[in-house]
Amino acid sequence: MFGYVRPLQSKLSQEERETYQAAYCGLCHCLKRRCGFGARYTLQYDFVFLALLLEDAPEWETCRRRCAAHPGKPRPCAAQTPALELCADESVILAYYKLRDSVADEGFWKATGCRVAAGLLRRTYRKARRARPDFDDHVARCLQELDQLERENSPQLDRVADAFARLLSGAAPETGDPALDRARRQLLYHLGRWIYLVDGVDDLAQDVARDRYNPIAARFGQTPDQDYLTTTMRHSLTLAQSAFQLLPTTAQSGILNNILYLGLPNVQALVQAGKWGRKERK
Amino acid sequence: MSDPYSVLGVSPNASDEEIKKAYRELARKYHPDNYQDNPLADLAEEKMKEINEAYDLITQQRGQGGQAYQAQPGYQRQSAGYQTSADPFSQRVRQRIQVGDLADAERILTQEAPVKNAEWYFLMGSVCYRKGWLDEARQNYQMAVQMAPNNMEYQQAYAMMSRGGYAYQPYGNQNMAGTEACDCCTTLMCMNCLCGGGRGC
Repeated sequence: MFGYVRPLQSKLSQEERETYQAAYCGLCHCLKRRCGFGARYTLQYDFVFLALLLEDAPEWETCRRRCAAHPGKPRPCAAQTPALELCADESVILAYYKLRDSVADEGFWKATGCRVAAGLLRRTYRKARRARPDFDDHVARCLQELDQLERENSPQLDRVADAFARLLSGAAPETGDPALDRARRQLLYHLGRWIYLVDGVDDLAQDVARDRYNPIAARFGQTPDQDYLTTTMRHSLTLAQSAFQLLPTTAQSGILNNILYLGLPNVQALVQAGKWGRKERK
Repeated sequence: MSDPYSVLGVSPNASDEEIKKAYRELARKYHPDNYQDNPLADLAEEKMKEINEAYDLITQQRGQGGQAYQAQPGYQRQSAGYQTSADPFSQRVRQRIQVGDLADAERILTQEAPVKNAEWYFLMGSVCYRKGWLDEARQNYQMAVQMAPNNMEYQQAYAMMSRGGYAYQPYGNQNMAGTEACDCCTTLMCMNCLCGGGRGC
């Protein structure tokens, strides 16, 4: 995904910050162990959110580990759980498709880079696909729809965003509890629409300059009504928040609350103001 | 029923005041207004029922049975829901929407509509809204309002979209507390502007 889903660090408590950090490191280690070294480069904040959302253990067991990125003092690191494993696999699957997509869309040099990266990630991807065949099918289907709409230069903002939103809502596995599944799917659907729109706003100038499809430009032209955009994006967040309130409280609820109510509006404001720099992307 | 104290998220030793506060916060969270026309409204309603029952049970146990929170009947009320419509086509679509079969409602609207009147746009907007297609929902509601400016139901739906929906804000109170002094100033400034402006005219 894109790295927009993150907390507002300044409002996390010390304990929450440590848990978030441990989840981040835990996912990274999980990626390496399950999928190999290359998988680590697919690590993104969005999947840390997903891991926090899907984790239902009352408390995360943490251990201390070193890694290449943090060779000094060992850092707290969440132990491998089924939710982390799922997020690791899904992260690899999405990253692989994204690279393939870039090979088709980017200019020669960047496309070559992406082709090499996709080649390196292929074995890792195949492993993840074997573990999650249904998710892989689902992603392939949604991305194909998205690709088709983008090729048609579709001005139907909701329809295009829907393909991505459905993709994301498939990231939560069925638990057998219909109320929980419905609330999670709704949360991820609205979050998916929001991510797609934020990404569209973020890329607007670049896409227009390169004559590439951009969902915001296709719907509103090159200078969209910012108030209208703000409202429609915030409305998706509001619906994601309402769905979140219906989930059972877990040890991670505080951080999720921060991300949904503070982190995402902050990111949206930065992106809309054009202040979302390269350094924030990861 | 599970432990009423854990439903409200308070300890059994909590004071009456603390319990009331916790209850009010939860009631604010699951208020039907926050889930109006939301496909998850039934889940919120269930939560509301749970906390109402828990609160009633605790107040009864503590011997304040007669003083149960007065606002409860208000909180329990159903969202206004759909007004009945004389038009059988509209009634059919509204019924499909109400049971949550959005695909069928959309199919009826696109394939069987005799005319595209204000009601059609309103119903299409309702389907879009429940799907999370907020841009198209707003466009359709706007169309309905333009075609029938005096219809309250259409107006409400469009106003809700223009506002960006209803939401519970957990950090709302905190922020207010932090900037209370400022708020005071802002209020005074606003009042000043209004009064000054009035004199100017």
